[in-house]
Amino acid sequence: MLETELVDVINLISDIRHGKVYTSYDVAIHTEQLIEKLISEGQWNTAEDLMVLIKARINRIMSALPQESTPVNIMRHILKIIRELYDTGFKYKSEGQQSLHHLITSNVDNAEDYSKPLPSLRSSLLDHLAEYKTGLELSTDNIATQALEHIHADEIILTVGKSNTVEKFLKHAAEKRKFQVIVVEAAPLYHGHEMAINLTKSNIQTTVIPDSAVFAMMSRVNKVIIGTHTVMANGGLRAACGVHMVALAAKRYSVPIMVLAHMYKLSPLHLCYEQDAFNICASPADVLPYSSGPIINKVHVYNPVFDYVPPDLVTLFISHQGGNAPSYVYRLLSELYDPNDNEI
Amino acid sequence: MQTSEVKSKFESILNEQEDVSTGIAAIMTLMEVLKHYNSITIQGLIEELKVAMEAMKDTNYSAAAITSGCELFRRFITLGTMDYHTFDECKEIMLKRGNLFLKKLKEAKGKVMKLGSQFIIDGSKILTHSRSRVVLHTLREAAKQNRYFEVFVTKSQPDDSGIRMCKDLTELNIPCTLILDSAIGYVMEEVDFVMVGAEAVVESGGIVNKIGSYTMAVCAKAMNKPFYVLAESFKFSRVFPLNQSDLPDEYKYSPEMRKRDLSKEHPLVDYTPPALITLLFTDLGILTPSAVSDELIKLYL
Repeated sequence: MLETELVDVINLISDIRHGKVYTSYDVAIHTEQLIEKLISEGQWNTAEDLMVLIKARINRIMSALPQESTPVNIMRHILKIIRELYDTGFKYKSEGQQSLHHLITSNVDNAEDYSKPLPSLRSSLLDHLAEYKTGLELSTDNIATQALEHIHADEIILTVGKSNTVEKFLKHAAEKRKFQVIVVEAAPLYHGHEMAINLTKSNIQTTVIPDSAVFAMMSRVNKVIIGTHTVMANGGLRAACGVHMVALAAKRYSVPIMVLAHMYKLSPLHLCYEQDAFNICASPADVLPYSSGPIINKVHVYNPVFDYVPPDLVTLFISHQGGNAPSYVYRLLSELYDPNDNEI
Repeated sequence: MQTSEVKSKFESILNEQEDVSTGIAAIMTLMEVLKHYNSITIQGLIEELKVAMEAMKDTNYSAAAITSGCELFRRFITLGTMDYHTFDECKEIMLKRGNLFLKKLKEAKGKVMKLGSQFIIDGSKILTHSRSRVVLHTLREAAKQNRYFEVFVTKSQPDDSGIRMCKDLTELNIPCTLILDSAIGYVMEEVDFVMVGAEAVVESGGIVNKIGSYTMAVCAKAMNKPFYVLAESFKFSRVFPLNQSDLPDEYKYSPEMRKRDLSKEHPLVDYTPPALITLLFTDLGILTPSAVSDELIKLYL
């Protein structure tokens, strides 16, 4: 495919790289808009053409930003929507997920043919996308409304760094209940400070602690509530650096960990596929400023961005549909994506 | 077909075709039974299949694999019987679909291999137990993709099948070391993960496999190493063992052993509970143990 045809996705990649589109919610909305534009204005006649166009974009993003799973997840989900609409459009019995039952009952070789033109596809796709977009926009609110089920009066909640979803969640609970929040400052970016300021504005009693005090404080904590960057297929997390330590401390004191995760954070990939690409290192200047003098020449400084948290440390995922255990993630994945799209 | 005919057919399939696993051979034998069946009722057919299944279990091959294969085929027959006018018509459809079904089952190993080989990254050290075709093929697949890795294979008493596995791996130029069954704990600290096959995958998401697998899984858990299982979906079985003694005797002992005093015999398989299994690689995708029960419920409900 020509570079010029992929200009939309190249722009998105550059926006993400330069931090113009920063939060995963913004990434999600931008991706959705990109695909919506592609569907309404792009050059395609059949579902197959469209899927090829989207897959080219997925490949582009995966090679440019391997650790950024949100845009790829959204596109994968849209591929599934296309498949479903195509199947219903032609009254095929939807093949659905690969299952043992299907293996036994299906009559035909499941030939994948999406090349027949379906005139109504464009309009029905746009309808579905509009619906999907509203879902995206309401996702944070839907998660926040569950706050009262999880936060009780006089509890002590610990959270790490800053997450918009967690912030809304806590604020929603604070409207009805009084509780205390401990914010881990999350060096070297110290987003936790900003989070603490935002929470105090809503009259939540907030304490900021350094990362090293997590273990000392954990014995008093009732619940850990965090956000995440990605949920892997096995229920593990790709979360901000330092979360693994918090999760281990919580495990030690048997404190439950709730992870607030939008559906677009669920990735059908396992850790092994991308060992090298799993983590990224940010500028070391935050750890050791360039002004530190001659020592800079003598030491190695690393500033990794992510942690992998194994699924057995997570108690519950909270999405807009409600709470799910990590062992249930595979079900959510089979609802979200078509198994044929897991590898592109 | 006579019981003896069934047995010899089943054994000849396994002897002639090196690459066919026990479960598939059992299904192929049942297809033969179906082909030669000349009465005219479904009820009779199901009865005859049951007799054939018992006959196959009386051979020296893994009863766990035979049972799960045959149960799946019987389910396939009952789900497949539709409103046809004559039995012949119905039989024809069944045979046609049966062949398609077999074809899909044979493709299963390829899918498992593809998923499993992705987890073998350069420089890995892998521990495996006994000899499993699907593990061997997966390792071969990874080696074909020019990955460098080392394998430790247990000798796996009582049949010493690990020796054969080690020989097969050496022929493929994969560096491998044969270890004693009692050395599992010793090597565990240096391996990156454990990869084993399974004779059957049970409803809880646990597996029934060559004796010693459970020891290996307990050890892997204690040292925080992932325990991966490679198994095709025709090995999914509708039993729910709670502990070792809960496993049926026919799984654990060969027909000859069962004639003797069982308390003096060595069991051939053990049950590994789901809590010790990290992931199962199947042709239905990479599943967590809890996903297995989901698949089985969907099929048998």
